[in-house]
Amino acid sequence: MTRVGIFGVAHIHADGYLANLESADHVKIVGVSETDDVLRREWAERHTEPIFATHEALIGAGVDAAIVCTTTNEHLAVVEQLAAAGVHVLCEKPLATTVEDSQAIVDVCAASDVLLMTAFPMRFNPSLAAGHVWIDEGRIGEILAFSGTNQGRIPTHYAEWFADPIAAGGGAVMDHVVHLVDILRWWTDSEPVEVYALTNRILHPDVAVETGGMVTVGFGNGVFATIDCSWSRPDGYPTWGGLTIEAVGAGGVFTIDAFAERLDVWSHGDAMWTDWGSDANEAMVDHFIGAVRGEHPLAVTGVDGLRATEVALAAYRSVAAGQPVEV
Amino acid sequence: MTLRVGIVGAGNMATVHADGWGAAGDSIIAVLDADAERAAEFAAATGGRVADDLDDLLRSVDVVDICTPTDTHLNYVLAGAAAGVAVACEKPLARTGDGARSAVAACREAGVPLLVGHVVRFFPEYVEARARVAAGDIGDVAVVRLDRSTYLPAGASAWFKDPARSGGVVHDLMIHDVDYAAWIAGTVTRAYARLAGSIDGGDHVLATLKHEGGAISHVQASWAFPVGSFRTSIEIAGSEGLITRHAADPFRSLVAVSPDVPDVPAPPTSGESPYVTQIRHFSDVLQGKATSRIAPEDAAAAVDVCDAIATSIESGQAVQIGENL
Repeated sequence: MTRVGIFGVAHIHADGYLANLESADHVKIVGVSETDDVLRREWAERHTEPIFATHEALIGAGVDAAIVCTTTNEHLAVVEQLAAAGVHVLCEKPLATTVEDSQAIVDVCAASDVLLMTAFPMRFNPSLAAGHVWIDEGRIGEILAFSGTNQGRIPTHYAEWFADPIAAGGGAVMDHVVHLVDILRWWTDSEPVEVYALTNRILHPDVAVETGGMVTVGFGNGVFATIDCSWSRPDGYPTWGGLTIEAVGAGGVFTIDAFAERLDVWSHGDAMWTDWGSDANEAMVDHFIGAVRGEHPLAVTGVDGLRATEVALAAYRSVAAGQPVEV
Repeated sequence: MTLRVGIVGAGNMATVHADGWGAAGDSIIAVLDADAERAAEFAAATGGRVADDLDDLLRSVDVVDICTPTDTHLNYVLAGAAAGVAVACEKPLARTGDGARSAVAACREAGVPLLVGHVVRFFPEYVEARARVAAGDIGDVAVVRLDRSTYLPAGASAWFKDPARSGGVVHDLMIHDVDYAAWIAGTVTRAYARLAGSIDGGDHVLATLKHEGGAISHVQASWAFPVGSFRTSIEIAGSEGLITRHAADPFRSLVAVSPDVPDVPAPPTSGESPYVTQIRHFSDVLQGKATSRIAPEDAAAAVDVCDAIATSIESGQAVQIGENL
């Protein structure tokens, strides 16, 4: 039995991870910790698992592995406690709100010899895995460029802190740049070297962070990519958003809609897209548990989270400079 | 009233324009082309005559329609203005923004109309999307995505494949969406872009634009797509809603892919060719029945933005637009 706890429920994914853990083999869900009274009470109304008022208490109950779902700015403090207790960590993305904190998360886990995985479920999306194979096999020849979108509804519908400059470290850029950066690093086996970004606050002008963003990333191998990270899906959109990527090569083109496995559902009310395909979050959680058991190395590490976060933070520097900046 | 039209340049676009003038009930009176044989064939097909020279053509027409290689547009526009003849001109208005602005100034001073062929402003899906924006259906425009991805036609002329003469994929293809972006999201104030070239010369460009008022545009133009493909898409996100029109949707965008297709296929259309709609509109403008949908200044601004995109590609820096104009 692998004993697992969920640390913090501020992130919307905590509910989904709990379901993923419930369906995993040989996993004991020790409980959940949440220091915020309101969030803890709301969680307890939805779930029956034990909920602790401090992270120490959950660690004290005996856990081998943790999924960290606090607000982004609290990741470091929680991971420090977990690493000190020898607990392996799957941390929500982005890793932290600053490069320093992200680096510290990586360092403390390395020093304590615990696993650190960043929650990049798209690594476990079958279409994107196929794209990786296509590129490796040279099916579209030498890669010229990518254009990617990771657009969504404003996530304040789930939790206000996603648009809090302190808790989230920013808005659409912090929320949606890192997934595509991680996919592109994975696909190209090259590191981002230059970032140019434009942002605005025309969508949902009532929030204190950027809601529109367009980021161009240059990689060390000369390939470039654009990432549209905008919260540009209106409330009436049939789903939360989506992720697409188009690869243009000297010998062809392919486009992936990572969430194409869906049904369009119409009713007298709002239209809805429902998923019927594989669950990337479930595959990611299973992979993490397997790595904790020593069955395989981690496919996605804390360093991957650090590199992606560096690009998101470079985007803000570029916006301030009005020019491309080095990563 | 039947306009007397003189066409300069008897290539592919001239044939497309001639269909439009014919549909408008106007007459091709004269044609001029460096290739005498091609000029004769065009004259025979359209009912006009081959002009002796440019002066001869300009003396006999109400409007000169310029369908020549991009880098020659400016001289013909200036000649038309000097002769007091109305000018229609295929896009881009000129090879450079400086040239385009001098063309606008010359026509204004001469008091002749200048009508530039930004045909996307006549494609029904683009017209409808702009109408929805103008009606306020999606609130303030925030993030725009425009795409025009195809391949370099096998039969492309030497001038077309020479970026020094045509401006390449930016000035020839991306300019359509650069103009449209400005039409719906406002004047472009800054451009940043990167270009990748494939082995067979099919360039691929991704540009991001900043508009006055704060909107952002992402514009993709490509000649690096597989032979036979032609794809366009529109996405306009606003403070109150979202408009999308993607390539895989019926009815216009998807064209059968075949390795043997010699030229960029004309997209299927449910109604009149937008090229014909455009020329009929030009005819109406010249007869005082309509106000031009394309201000000459807009056509010049589109070339300025393309210049900035090209400069950004060269320098690796973002380029401010309009600072030194």
